[in-house]
Amino acid sequence: MEQESNGNPASALPFVFSGKGSEYFSIWIVNVALTIITLGIYSAWAKVRKLQYLYRNTSLAGSSFDYHGNPIAILKGRLIAFGALVGSQLSLQFAPMIGIALLILLGIIFPWMIKRSLQFKLFNSSYRGLRFGFDGDTGGAYRVFLGLTVAASFIGFIWPYTHQQIKKYQHDNSRYGQTKFSFSATPGQYYKIYMIAGLLGLLALFLIGVLVGGAIFQGMMSTQQGPRSPFAAILPIIFVFLFFAVYQIIVGPFIQARLQNVVWNNTKLGEHIFVSNVSARKLFAITFTNFILIILTLGLYKPFATIRLLRYRLETMAFVPHGSLEDFLAGQAQQRSATGEETAEMFDVDISF
Amino acid sequence: MSVMIQANYFDGKSATRHVVTLIVSGDRARIIGDGIARDESLASLRVSEPMGSAPRLITFADGAICEVTDHAGLNDLLAQTGYQEKTVVRWQQNGTWVIGALLFSMAIVWGAYRFGLPVFADVIAQQLPEKSIAKLGEHVLESLDESVFKPSELPDARQKEIIAGFEKLVPPNGKKVSHTIRFRNSPQIGANAFALPSGDIVMTDELVALTKDDREILGVLAHELGHLEKRHSLRQLLQGTIVGLVISWYVGDVSSILASAPAAILQARYSRDFEREADAYGAALLKHNHISPGYLANMLERLEKAHGGGKDDEGSDYFSTHPGTRERVRVLREQ
Repeated sequence: MEQESNGNPASALPFVFSGKGSEYFSIWIVNVALTIITLGIYSAWAKVRKLQYLYRNTSLAGSSFDYHGNPIAILKGRLIAFGALVGSQLSLQFAPMIGIALLILLGIIFPWMIKRSLQFKLFNSSYRGLRFGFDGDTGGAYRVFLGLTVAASFIGFIWPYTHQQIKKYQHDNSRYGQTKFSFSATPGQYYKIYMIAGLLGLLALFLIGVLVGGAIFQGMMSTQQGPRSPFAAILPIIFVFLFFAVYQIIVGPFIQARLQNVVWNNTKLGEHIFVSNVSARKLFAITFTNFILIILTLGLYKPFATIRLLRYRLETMAFVPHGSLEDFLAGQAQQRSATGEETAEMFDVDISF
Repeated sequence: MSVMIQANYFDGKSATRHVVTLIVSGDRARIIGDGIARDESLASLRVSEPMGSAPRLITFADGAICEVTDHAGLNDLLAQTGYQEKTVVRWQQNGTWVIGALLFSMAIVWGAYRFGLPVFADVIAQQLPEKSIAKLGEHVLESLDESVFKPSELPDARQKEIIAGFEKLVPPNGKKVSHTIRFRNSPQIGANAFALPSGDIVMTDELVALTKDDREILGVLAHELGHLEKRHSLRQLLQGTIVGLVISWYVGDVSSILASAPAAILQARYSRDFEREADAYGAALLKHNHISPGYLANMLERLEKAHGGGKDDEGSDYFSTHPGTRERVRVLREQ
């Protein structure tokens, strides 16, 4: 594991999660029913209740986090996003030129919207009565969310670099009170993760090749003995399907686990460090059994799955204060700046990474 | 009468924790201890909703907060002040309401899947021009010809006779459905017929050989024309795509490919509806031309036998693409 050597493990303060599937289920199902009845309008209030449950049940050193998002602001953001989407789709149907222009416009303001939503998310998160904040500039947002992202969609090889730059933009510009977060993970560390994921992919591809080849060979043998079952004809397809499925469910959690570790083991809050110890194998076991249980319960296991996954991802993390936590926190004051006024009228867009 | 509980106080300006005692008497709330002394009216305070074992937060007008973990104590205190939880919170805590919400949500989702989506896909499918549908399946016949089909061994004259017989039929609703009938030989597939999105209706020599009366052939062709008239391939595609998207969105970031397995099972249900619709159209076409739908029923029974029959029992009904043959035959014979 890539843990930093400074910081005494004995003083590591673990994140504690007290959420329970059964409690979360009640909130979730009432949310779903009310969202249906109100044709989606309640979804903004649902989001706030959901996040408040998750934040307040997460604690560090005996104090919990809190979420302050205003449902009206969230609803406003959702209505704008919905309107833009419907508007561009409709104009694509009836006036293609206007539709394309609208889509391009959406693409152009997209980085700015992400910046605003990061501000919204952090400004509305608090710990011990003190808000988090985000000071990222618009230029930086355009660089990573438009420039580097578009470049990566043409040249896939630079995606790990883009991904590292996105995280760097997010973490380097975040703060708690007046203390800034900093991010020191290198592009090399991202390339390493994606490279191993790629090798796992090649291995899966090789196995698919061998099995499909074998199946086709067997199919050829059996045609000579007369009519074969239609099953034989689709056998190669089934193998391809199965192996891509296996590949996805193994590589997905692998990348997630390694990324969480690299991100948090290289993030600092002032002089204080974080430690993350997610095991790819355990994350795989949790996501896979969650998937099976969601299918078997016709979807009803979903809130339990959310809690189970979050518990594992949070409880493998710790905060290691440099010196005394209470001393550090006592020195923290609320940032009073222009962003306070600005954030009052901002809206949320649901984009997550 | 006053009530007191322990709490952690944060002034909202610094992160320092103050361990305090919260005392409520009458309509005043007092906070004392650790260098803090406040006296506020109850009306100026807000208390957060209960969230399981998470601490509840009492927020002051100036942004200061009291974090309370003594849930029993706080409940007593709130009861004293006559505080009532919000309606939504009471629903979340009441088993009857939770089960009600559960049943309601499940009913809506099931209804949307069973009735809403097919109607939606139908409306969209009927609006698209025939040409764009034909495009969807442009190369399907070509690739089938390369893999499973061989040229028909049926004499040309016989092919023309069957086609001429079918073209004489007058559509029941006066609406012509463009189509091309093609014959193919396929020992692999055996006796079968398909309606392709391109408007091609493919019938195998093996199926023709299985018939005892040309009206049975007309019956099968009428059923396939029903698939084309109702634009089933396009509707299948639309419904399949939507079901697939919804499931992968719902299940989350596990695996989009894995999520398509349950989607395929859910789609099987739609396929059965399509078979019923095609049967209904076929029967209407036959009756309009004074041919008994019983001929189609005869063929269904014989096809089932030819494909190793009798497997299509009630038990496997949900997962089978075709509705129980017995059921379809009964409906056709009743007409």
